Amino acid sequence: MSWGRLKVKFQKNASLVIMVGIFLVLPFILPYRALATEVLIFALATVAFDLLLGYTGIMMFCQASFFGSGAYITGLLIHHFQPNIFFCIGTAIAGVALLALVFGYMGTLRIGSYCVLLTLAFNELIFFIAYQWKTLTGGSDGLRNIPRPSLEIPGLFKVSLLSETRFYFFALFFFILSFVLIRKITESPFGRILQGIRENETRAQAIGYNTQLFKIAAFVIGGSFMGLAGSLYSMFMNFVDINLVAFDTSGKIVMMELIGGMGTLFGPILGAAVVTLASDIANAYWERWFLILGVVFVAFVLFARGGVWGIIENLRDWVRVPRLKDE
Amino acid sequence: MYDVNILRPSSGILRTDERGRMTLNLVLIQIVNGLVLGMIYVLLAMGLSIVWGMMNIINFSHGLFFALGAYLAYTLFSVTGNFFMGMIFVPLGTAVIGMFLELTLLKRLYRLNILYQILMTFGLALIGRELIIILYGPVGKSFVPPDILSGTITLGTFFFPTYRIFLLFVSICITFGMWLFIEKTKYGSIIRAGTEDSEMVSALGINISRVFTLIFGLSMAIAGLSGVLAAPIRGVEPMMGEAILGICFAVVIIGGMGSFMGAIIGGVIVGLSQSLVTLIMPSASIIVIFLVMALILLLKPRGLLGIRD
Repeated sequence: MSWGRLKVKFQKNASLVIMVGIFLVLPFILPYRALATEVLIFALATVAFDLLLGYTGIMMFCQASFFGSGAYITGLLIHHFQPNIFFCIGTAIAGVALLALVFGYMGTLRIGSYCVLLTLAFNELIFFIAYQWKTLTGGSDGLRNIPRPSLEIPGLFKVSLLSETRFYFFALFFFILSFVLIRKITESPFGRILQGIRENETRAQAIGYNTQLFKIAAFVIGGSFMGLAGSLYSMFMNFVDINLVAFDTSGKIVMMELIGGMGTLFGPILGAAVVTLASDIANAYWERWFLILGVVFVAFVLFARGGVWGIIENLRDWVRVPRLKDE
Repeated sequence: MYDVNILRPSSGILRTDERGRMTLNLVLIQIVNGLVLGMIYVLLAMGLSIVWGMMNIINFSHGLFFALGAYLAYTLFSVTGNFFMGMIFVPLGTAVIGMFLELTLLKRLYRLNILYQILMTFGLALIGRELIIILYGPVGKSFVPPDILSGTITLGTFFFPTYRIFLLFVSICITFGMWLFIEKTKYGSIIRAGTEDSEMVSALGINISRVFTLIFGLSMAIAGLSGVLAAPIRGVEPMMGEAILGICFAVVIIGGMGSFMGAIIGGVIVGLSQSLVTLIMPSASIIVIFLVMALILLLKPRGLLGIRD
């Protein structure tokens, strides 16, 4: 490999390396480890949503039902059977993928804004099922008693994940794996078609692509990663809050996505970090700080639609490109 | 905590007879209750549908204005003791707030992708909910209908709460009025034309920007009024807007986006299915709404009377 190509390869992956570096030290900078884990899990869910909104242009509002169902599936498995940790995660992903297939199919039956209405309605459906089926889900009290499983490959090794630091790195493994996968997807021909659909769906259809199929695929892929995030979250919290399937969780992920910067993959991570950290700090002072978050969100919609990442890129260009001097 | 207190189809009269059988009587009462519920949904879905048809906005703050209407009515009623005043002034108030928000915030986003308008209304809904919690507290408040409307009306062997009959009457009048307005007046023809092609309407020399503001105001006025009307049945609480938003979306999907008659049919179907399922299995009464929606969507992807994507 020549020096030049190595350099290109490094430049292409520089952001990734920097990101991994930041995440390696993050738990030791933040006031407590669990906060870093929370950032990580929401970052995963938001990056998954970025594949849908940022890359395919699908606005949907059932993030909570994917995230929350992943959490409930894992929670219920651990609560009743305590199977292997990988089995829990795998089942959650498979279950949510199936759910995403159904919602994706229904939501993409028609082009346009129907998808928003429909996914929100489906989210309510999942919420009310979780709310009413008290014997299964614990209803509004949430699902309790979910001991954190150990990291175990039978016959090989068994590591306890009770320490928050260990669980953080366990989650980080999945996060980086998912991030690289999602990035690969966005760079693949398949990902290019998704972006084509975002830019002009009618034209993509005219070229001969069955856009519904691609959109359903985006739903399933994005949904699966959200399910993975939810699965990790229930192991992390040892508890599934009913709010995880409620409208608010969808809203939170949407806000993280926009504040971070849509369609950038790195932006949503930033958004998740900013919102999670800000909420941790602000919550201590004022319970109703969501008001401020709402105002900030509206300001971003009005003035900075590229999100924080967009602002950073603008600043970088501003520094790098020599400005034309007057006269 | 996400408190769930959707409109309850009925509270006291939901019983089977001594032998545990459902009587015809009970079913009839539930049908009336379903219509009452359904008409609230109709009012909300109408506004949602018109705004979408005309302005291509999916208004996430529609539920907020429903809650706002209920809270304003609650305030006005506790200050003046006059419920009917609320029915007049609250819709005016919500219309003014709505038009103000449209002029100052939404208007800036019309040239962009529809996504940003959705996000804006979502942000506004969030801000509004938090403001309501800050002003009134997170706990819901009960709202007793005024004396003149409390009590029951006896019709043969049936008796119904007076307030519910009053609500049914008022909401049918408003729906009919809206129908007259849209179908028979000059302004209505602009709305109908705008739903087909708003660009063409503006090319014909109509100030579409002002029409948008007025339409948004009208939609918010009706949303506020439905909040006023629903408050005595269900009380007021901060989450009421969010809880009803999903149901309204389902109503619009069932009826078909942008269709006036669709909103009416959808609302009645949802109200009736909700109240009748309450008889058989109360816990599924809300879930059934979304199942009906999914079923209709599979059979008719455009909804029953949908016009366009």
